[in-house]
Amino acid sequence: MKLTNTMLLFLSCIFTVAAQNFKPAKITKEDLLQKVHPVDTSASAAMLHKLGKTYFAISGDHWELVTEVNIRIKIYKKEGYEYANQQVSYYTGGKTIRVDFSDAYTYNLKNGEVVKTKLKSDGEFREKINEEYERRKITLPDVKEGSIIEYTYSIRSPYFSVFRDWYFQDEIPIDYVEYTVAVPQYFVYNRYLAGYLKIEKTETKYNTPMGRSYQEYIDTFWAKNVKAIKDEAFVSNVENYMSILKHELSSTNFSTGIQKYSTDWASVAKTIYDNEHFGKELNRDSYYKEDLTKLLSGITTPDEKMNTIFGYVKNRMHWDGDNDYYCDKGVKAAYESKSGNAAEINLMLTAMLRDAGLKADPVLVSTRTNGIALFPTYSAYNYVVAGVETDKGTVLLDATSKYTVPDILPVRALNWQGRMIRKDGATKEIELRPKKNSREVIGMSVVMDKDGSVKGKMRDQMFDYYAYTFREDYAEMNEDTYIEKLEKRYAGLELGEYKRTGAKEMDKPVLEEYDFMHKEVADLIGDKIYFSPMLFLHRKENPFKQEVREYPVDFNFTWQDKYMINITMPEGYVIESLPKGVNVVMEENIGSFKYNVIAQNNIIQVMIVFDMNYVNISKDYYKTLKDFYQNIIEKQNEKVVLKKA
Amino acid sequence: MIFRILLPLLFLFQSAFAQESDLTVAGIPENLKENADAVVRLNKIDVDISSRKSMSTKQTRIVTVINENGLDAIDAYEYFDKSSISIKSIEAIIFDAKGMQLKKIKRKDFKDLSASGGAMFTDSRILKLDYTPTQYPFTIVFTSETESSNTAFLPKWLAIAGSNTSMQKNVIKISCVADLGFKYKEYNFEGVPIQKEQSANTVSFIAENIPALKDEDYSPSIMKVTPYVLFGLEKFHLEGVDGDAKDWESFGTWYFNKILAGTDEVLPETVAKIQSIVGGETDLEKKAALVYNYVQSKTRYVSIALGIGGWKPMAAKDVDRLGYGDCKALSNYTRALLKAVGVESYYTIIYGDRHKQDMQEDFVSMQGNHIILAVPNKDKMIWLECTNQAIPFGYQGSFTDDRLALIVKPQKSQIIRTGIYTSENSIQKSKGNYNISDKGTINGSVMIVSTGIQYESKYFLSEESKENRDKFYKSAFRNINNLKLKKTDLKNDRELKEFTEDIVFEAEGYCNKSGDRLIFSVNAFNQYSSIPQRYRNRKNPFEILRGFLDSDEIAIDLPEGYSIESKPDDVIIKDKFGEYTAKYTISESGTIVYTRSLLVTPGYYANNEYENFRQFREKIARNDNARIVLLKK
Repeated sequence: MKLTNTMLLFLSCIFTVAAQNFKPAKITKEDLLQKVHPVDTSASAAMLHKLGKTYFAISGDHWELVTEVNIRIKIYKKEGYEYANQQVSYYTGGKTIRVDFSDAYTYNLKNGEVVKTKLKSDGEFREKINEEYERRKITLPDVKEGSIIEYTYSIRSPYFSVFRDWYFQDEIPIDYVEYTVAVPQYFVYNRYLAGYLKIEKTETKYNTPMGRSYQEYIDTFWAKNVKAIKDEAFVSNVENYMSILKHELSSTNFSTGIQKYSTDWASVAKTIYDNEHFGKELNRDSYYKEDLTKLLSGITTPDEKMNTIFGYVKNRMHWDGDNDYYCDKGVKAAYESKSGNAAEINLMLTAMLRDAGLKADPVLVSTRTNGIALFPTYSAYNYVVAGVETDKGTVLLDATSKYTVPDILPVRALNWQGRMIRKDGATKEIELRPKKNSREVIGMSVVMDKDGSVKGKMRDQMFDYYAYTFREDYAEMNEDTYIEKLEKRYAGLELGEYKRTGAKEMDKPVLEEYDFMHKEVADLIGDKIYFSPMLFLHRKENPFKQEVREYPVDFNFTWQDKYMINITMPEGYVIESLPKGVNVVMEENIGSFKYNVIAQNNIIQVMIVFDMNYVNISKDYYKTLKDFYQNIIEKQNEKVVLKKA
Repeated sequence: MIFRILLPLLFLFQSAFAQESDLTVAGIPENLKENADAVVRLNKIDVDISSRKSMSTKQTRIVTVINENGLDAIDAYEYFDKSSISIKSIEAIIFDAKGMQLKKIKRKDFKDLSASGGAMFTDSRILKLDYTPTQYPFTIVFTSETESSNTAFLPKWLAIAGSNTSMQKNVIKISCVADLGFKYKEYNFEGVPIQKEQSANTVSFIAENIPALKDEDYSPSIMKVTPYVLFGLEKFHLEGVDGDAKDWESFGTWYFNKILAGTDEVLPETVAKIQSIVGGETDLEKKAALVYNYVQSKTRYVSIALGIGGWKPMAAKDVDRLGYGDCKALSNYTRALLKAVGVESYYTIIYGDRHKQDMQEDFVSMQGNHIILAVPNKDKMIWLECTNQAIPFGYQGSFTDDRLALIVKPQKSQIIRTGIYTSENSIQKSKGNYNISDKGTINGSVMIVSTGIQYESKYFLSEESKENRDKFYKSAFRNINNLKLKKTDLKNDRELKEFTEDIVFEAEGYCNKSGDRLIFSVNAFNQYSSIPQRYRNRKNPFEILRGFLDSDEIAIDLPEGYSIESKPDDVIIKDKFGEYTAKYTISESGTIVYTRSLLVTPGYYANNEYENFRQFREKIARNDNARIVLLKK
């Protein structure tokens, strides 16, 4: 069935058709009078068309990659005014890149006539973002509810390996979107289409540009009535579901001979490996040699070596926040300055592990913000970790965070599969998502007073990702501030003595123990006492509120939560009723919830185990998941009723 | 042998610092470590104003960062632009806990970023430190020197550091040539030991050894509690314009003549158009409303701040042509159109923020961060927010209510207070009913009418998409799981500034089941459930900024075959913070009528009252969650 732990994205399919015949229509009175989008009445704006073309031109002695885009947008509501401000960011690499906005107009209805207002230079801006990127912005004049705006921009870039992605989808509906690509015979690009949309395409045409002696291949893609993409809760990156056309340079064939670039995952990996900012950096060893020898003296087992080196690099190095698989200043400079990007830190780690005789290799990763690595392009990955092949399987290590442990990657790197590159250049897919459910074990023991208040002890043990996220969030936090946060999370809770261990010892679980008092767990109604057996730990709100779901649900990690709660009843009271035990298992064992409440003498014992076994759950199971949660919540909120003896 | 020359120099350099301040972590006094993520060892600002058009500022800021939460205290950046501010030097040196130098960061390694923030475009830029700490704690010595031809804004000196940051030594020294009318004023100095030194042309303030404070909810704005000093000049310069300001009246006259002059001209066609829109209307308020609505339909907010454009409004005729502008431009454009139909209005300088912040009445200087418009109508003012295309004419909301603002006129500019929303005028009235089925499902309908400050949190809904409304109500009624909305009819009465919601919904599983019992919260529609954070040792006073009044009347039908086993008792809670009542009346037909009212009164209270306030809220939350138990017959 369509579950869930395998890569499961419907890829857009392309239908080849004889010809498209879209011509931008003249803007009419009726267009301007239209009040809402005919299909999506809630749209604040819509693109009436988005037409693009990418082709090659010769400028002096080099090729230029030219992209021209013409967009027409109807503004329906005030919230759509933001679409009257447009910007284009582009790579300059320090060079001057020509970017022009032209034919930018706002159309309005004035006294029953269509009137257009031109964008003048006072609405155009250029901003330097940094040494390598710039941004052009425009803000269109005279925009009101009902206006239509239209503009064209062109980008001329000498970087023909930096092919701009084409988005067939946006946050507003697009009535018609079309993209033409003309590639001279000297270039071969691989083409990838992500997303769910049905995209149509013409038969490839061949053409000899005016005054040139080469041929170019022309393809046109288009789609009609494209729905707006909308973000939902529990989605790691909505762009994973957008329809985007990507081009990756595969080879060039000039008179000087054929040069090959990436064509598949293996060659992408190899090209990255061969780049001096990767492979060469990975092979450097003199900078750490002396330190490593000292570090490993007396250590014999591979496990110990791995842990020692991992701890050393984590401790020495500080991540500068940059995701990259290429080194910036280089491992040596990074080692000396004790800070570096993801490549510097994790390639250094890999090198040292290899040096110690372990079978360690870099693993290319795409972070969550970069989206899922679907196609073999250089931008598919943007991060690197280390993988060690042991007799117990591959262990993943990432030293950019102080709180990672073997096989616990930071959440940003938990994104489907990575690709390991071995020394011999062979590559292998690596499952990045955790292999087991992260565990939390809560033990609570309380005595209830006649007024319904409870006093007791809490013991909360966190393992795996629970421990990792706790450490990331709270290890550095002042303890008083943390306690205040805890009291705020569980309104009514008052902490006494608080003790914590393991927050900074990675080989242990995080353990919190505290005494507490809580006056608000029970309702005294009439001469009875009502309370949830989970006291204040029960979930009150269903996190799934939408009735229908567009995209899969993504939990960062799978889990098992265990609760063992003992409640001593107030003197003079006996049980009137207890919630019944249940054992709910979702279909295909996606999740399960076991719940049991029993009474022995004057003690109520509660035992709960809540498992979620899949990280990614297809939308076909959304209803099941939502109902499952509803079940759990209702159960958790069922009351124990005590009455006077 | 370069080494021999360099070493002693380096040594000299370090000892120069060592003389001035101890950079070791061990040198931090114990009381400054408590609650501190960072310790500002020294914040030293030297300002020298040598003429109306020349101000140089030197800063030395030494910060020991204890852990990564303290990184924000470093504040190692400077603004610059093409027209008036230049950075002469900027540098940072990092030291370890023992005071040994780790690294030096030169100007070229600072990041050059656009300072645009929310603006569409600005020529203002920032040079910002780009450093990844490699150990904690560490100490950073940041030095900078800037020059500016703008003397309209002198630094504001805050004696204490931000939250969770202690201050070891904080010094400002300002020197100014004699004839510019240099002035300053101290605020909130009571009980804080601050040294002041003054000579002919120089004044300095020194604050030392101030422990770190934690953030606390309901704290008043820092301008009410923090010691600070404002500085200013009577004769100053701003982007090519000389300014004079002895008092607010002369400041306003200057502003009107030098900044606003000429910006309110519009083309004759525009005048004709707006006059035709207003037509024969003679009532001032109605005329103004017609103009305001026209501006709302024609313009949008876009901020472009270039040179003097950061302070001077874009010409009204440009706004008319382009249909956009920032707060200055849109307010001024509205003023120009009002003038064209014979309605007088005043450009008004204010602090826009949910926290009410006054223009300092007793200190004349460039202040404020926002512009609105004031329209005098008999003895009252109508306040117009011109950057929002959806709010009704004359509605201020919490961004500009109840605070001192400067109205700018050719003569007789003055500071006056903007409109106040009282609790009694900020009402939410709910009337409705629901029934409970024997399966525990709730079916309800309710009519909610909101006015005053409560209108603000609702009116935008009428423009929202169906999905966003759905999200809004599922969050507003988050105490009801499985909420399915069957009807959300919304009516936004812009004239009365009254918002009406007519809502029908259903939710399965609203009741808890325990054997033969059904248990549910009576107050399904309007629970005031959040309880302020408990503090073991509350330090700050606290403030309830705005009050409101809710009244609810809900009829509840029970399922057949069930009887009420117990119901909550009627409650009245009275306190200085407000008043709460809840009443449960059972009619003959078996319907329960639940009536509730909640009045929250605004006020400013000492820290030792906080726990009472918290308990007041706790009691309300508990009563708002009070339950009825039904038993199967």
